[in-house]
Amino acid sequence: MNLSYLLGILLGSLHAMVPITLAGTGEVIGESSGLFNIGLEGIILLSAMTGALGAEAGGPIVGLFVGMGTGFVVGLIFGLVCTYSKGVQLIAGVGINLFAAGLVTFWLIHLGVPGHHTIAEEGRMVDISTPFGDFSPMILVAIVFPVVIYLLLFRTKLGLKIRAVGENPQAADVAGIKIHLLRLFSTATGASLAGLAGAYLSIDWIGSVTKELSAGRGFIALATVVFSGLNPLLVLLGGFIFGFFDNLAVWVATMPAVQQIIPWQFVSMAPYVVTLMVAAGVIGRVRFPAAMGVPYERE
Amino acid sequence: MRFSGRTDELKKTVIAAVFGFAVGALTMMVYGYDPISAYIALFNGAFGDPYGLSESLTNATPFILTALTFAIGFRGGMFNIGAEGQLYLGALAAVTVSLFRFPSGISFALSIIFAVLAGAAWSLPVAVLKAARGVHEVISTIMLNWISRFLSFYLIAKILVDPLRAEKTISIAESVRFPLLVSGTSLSYGIFVSLFAAIIIYLFLWRTVSGFDIRAMGFNPVAATYAGIDKWKITLIVFITGGFTAGLAGAVHVMGRPPTYAIYSGMPSIQGLGFEGLAVAMIGRNHPIGIIFAAIFFGGLLAGGRMMQLSSQVPLEMVRVVEGIVVLFLAIPELIQVFSFLREIRIPFIFQFKRSQNKHGRR
Amino acid sequence: MKQIASVMVAIFTVALLVVGLVMTPGTAQAALKGKVALVVDVGGRGDLSFNDMGYKGTDKAAADFGLKMVDIQSVSAADYLPNVRNAARSQSFDLIIAVGFLLTDAVATVAKEYPDQKFMIIDSVVDAPNVMSIVFKENEGSALVGALAAMVAAHYGYPYVGAVLGIEIPVLFHFEAGYRFGIDWGNKAYARKKGTNPSTGLLYTYTGTFSDIAKGKAATQAMLAQRAGLIYNVAGPLGIGDLQAITEAIKAKGKEAGPPFMIGVDANQDWMGDGHRVLASMLKRVDNACYNATEAVVKGTFKGGLTVMGLDVKGVAMSNYPELLTFMEFGIGAGKITKQDKANIVSNWKNMREQVPSWIWNAVADLEKQIISKKISVPNANTLEEMKAVRTKYPLTK
Repeated sequence: MNLSYLLGILLGSLHAMVPITLAGTGEVIGESSGLFNIGLEGIILLSAMTGALGAEAGGPIVGLFVGMGTGFVVGLIFGLVCTYSKGVQLIAGVGINLFAAGLVTFWLIHLGVPGHHTIAEEGRMVDISTPFGDFSPMILVAIVFPVVIYLLLFRTKLGLKIRAVGENPQAADVAGIKIHLLRLFSTATGASLAGLAGAYLSIDWIGSVTKELSAGRGFIALATVVFSGLNPLLVLLGGFIFGFFDNLAVWVATMPAVQQIIPWQFVSMAPYVVTLMVAAGVIGRVRFPAAMGVPYERE
Repeated sequence: MRFSGRTDELKKTVIAAVFGFAVGALTMMVYGYDPISAYIALFNGAFGDPYGLSESLTNATPFILTALTFAIGFRGGMFNIGAEGQLYLGALAAVTVSLFRFPSGISFALSIIFAVLAGAAWSLPVAVLKAARGVHEVISTIMLNWISRFLSFYLIAKILVDPLRAEKTISIAESVRFPLLVSGTSLSYGIFVSLFAAIIIYLFLWRTVSGFDIRAMGFNPVAATYAGIDKWKITLIVFITGGFTAGLAGAVHVMGRPPTYAIYSGMPSIQGLGFEGLAVAMIGRNHPIGIIFAAIFFGGLLAGGRMMQLSSQVPLEMVRVVEGIVVLFLAIPELIQVFSFLREIRIPFIFQFKRSQNKHGRR
Repeated sequence: MKQIASVMVAIFTVALLVVGLVMTPGTAQAALKGKVALVVDVGGRGDLSFNDMGYKGTDKAAADFGLKMVDIQSVSAADYLPNVRNAARSQSFDLIIAVGFLLTDAVATVAKEYPDQKFMIIDSVVDAPNVMSIVFKENEGSALVGALAAMVAAHYGYPYVGAVLGIEIPVLFHFEAGYRFGIDWGNKAYARKKGTNPSTGLLYTYTGTFSDIAKGKAATQAMLAQRAGLIYNVAGPLGIGDLQAITEAIKAKGKEAGPPFMIGVDANQDWMGDGHRVLASMLKRVDNACYNATEAVVKGTFKGGLTVMGLDVKGVAMSNYPELLTFMEFGIGAGKITKQDKANIVSNWKNMREQVPSWIWNAVADLEKQIISKKISVPNANTLEEMKAVRTKYPLTK
């Protein structure tokens, strides 16, 4: 166990943190405005696929934008259903997950090697090579975005409006804020970050698309959002904690010394146990915007 | 969520289904499949003959139970998505009883009881953490689902493993299995357990004081607390009851599902049952009766999807695409308004009497 | 008059038909229905190994014998019985091939219900007259790559080799047991040649998944950080992640070619990573098994019973040049590599292999001969207890 080993773990953790933090931060925007999108998992998977295709066509940056765009479009549909059409957000989100899972698997069957799709070299993101593993610029993006969104939500007028809409839409409406439009915009933007997370998975970190690529990360992001009390900085922290323990669990499981003592199944549990303990011990009660989850109707 | 008019709900479901199938057809055509023959195969596979119907009902069996878990939580104003983790342990609890040699009647009863208790035991921490530390159930259920998954892997590989076939647990003792209802299919008496559970839950929520309290808390927590209903007591009841049904789902599956009557490493057969239950609960409007129908619908799509794959070579996943769109459209309560002309359609009288019971008029 | 003529024509036609039927060779065998079903487990297609091999073999057989292949996926294990049963019920398949031991109970049940339907199952044994069971000696093949890995690691100065596995199931125990034995044998062979035993150690882990590729990458990174020189992928698609980690490690040193190397599984994966990052693959000829079974049905020689495919019948093997070419065609067909890449990959591969001293290759070939001639018996494990016993016998720790 030396410095190089530890840095390797750290780097791996940062990579694992990116999708959770990005998707989580996006969801914070949406939830602050009052829409609870459980469809993150589906958006991540869908964007991973579309982003991969985009990257193969036009290079990694194009792919990332295609991924974001996919997230934006899905978020828009979700938003339309839940705002103007007063849809039930929970149901719509579940619908998105189902749809995405089916469509991506279906797509994979029709693209070259059925079942999985590895991105060609040209489509892959170029990372900086270090002795401990690749360092991706997306890691920086994942750190910067939560800060930016935090500033947006808590230090700008727009952020104030978004939060007002989530907290007390009636009052906001009276004040002249366009509720549905703002919610639509917030959710779509938030979903585009989830889309970015998905594209990162396929173009950068893993380099491949399979039907189970998201591996529950959308739900972990959701849990992180709840854990953060809608504070993007805490999403960053939560994402890192989870990513760190998730990665650590895999690394530690390979060490013969550890294998003598503890079965690998229990090591794998660690990230979830830790997150739960932190939520219970440190975070405690969280408060959601008062009007979250309820479609707004003008009286 | 108000239950405003059965007929409207039915019409809505039909419209949503139409949209769902339309999108599915579109996707199929893009890739060169023939939607007509595919859908015919789908329908035949699901409901076209007794074999198909049996398969649909078999699939529906666990869905009903896991949907109930979510629905009970929802009615209480809570978001219980822990059915997945709870059902794993329920299934394993049932298997554990088969480790011992009790007389078959006792074994059967114990299997069910332990499964139900296991599910509730895994649900309890969620309620406790919420009450004591305010941990939102979204976090705790998601985390506990994963913890249960790995715990189950361990139990399957080390403790409950079948000495002769290490890839699975020991099988449920033959005398303890649910007998097949229709031979040559996978349908067992387990379906009755599910239906029975749905009825019990319905009676519980709509005909008991506790049930009323739960629904009141879900409808308006402030008023309910003001009226003297104890929030934490309700939370406990909601999660424990949800745990019961989820644990039961695990038991019914492992005790009723041929050919193995055991759990494989990696849990490929019970994985996802909890999450499907979520969708079923949504479509079923979180009402036990609706859930039964929604479960049969989903079960039918799955059974039919297999036949569709066989005869038209359309991949099974197409079914999920259809499901997704249907669910998405069902999210819109005003779907009927969009097609206002449909409101004029008269539905047979069986639904009329339901409407008169409804306190809330149509908007 | 016309009536008599019609009757005569009718009798004549019938007579002709009867004569024709009697004279057709092989009339004892019923006419073929023209379809083969391939039922895969929940892993599904796209693992570039096990399931894809099944597809490849059946596809080729279908093409060669003019049959139509219907491939049936399963979303959950609860689909297995209905899928197999539906296929049998339809009465339209000459052969139903089940890929993977997870389908054992389904095949056993349906084979009894439809005794006239022919089945073949891979990696499991179903005792029925209408079921052909084909199992492989993965431990023998893994022994070969284990020996190779140990010697190559010692040659390049790495203290460890690694193995990234999926879920703890009996089939994977075959791989782990054989690999351990091979490493130990390789260490001893190195000692015989060079005088000292390098005691190459083994780092192994069960990731608990056959689908989360990120875990494969992370596990490989962990092993590389602990100075493992070769990583054996025993978790299907996770190999993609393994190779990722290896590629990053190679490039971090400013190189293009390994070491460190990956060892592929089931299919020949040597061409992945530009031909110079996967040193060898442990081939499991599921494709041949499927092909042979289909051929047997077509030719009327199908017999139920157990077939064990070991090194002696090339059921398992360490990858070499001829397979490289075949599998590259597979890769080209799947759009993963282009024809131009092909020449590049082949030359990279040859370089990679030539840099390993020939005595090592000879030693592996020697081990193979000894296994085939039964001088050496490679240990196997089917239960956790047996696996623990093998782990105790070959601890391979430092």
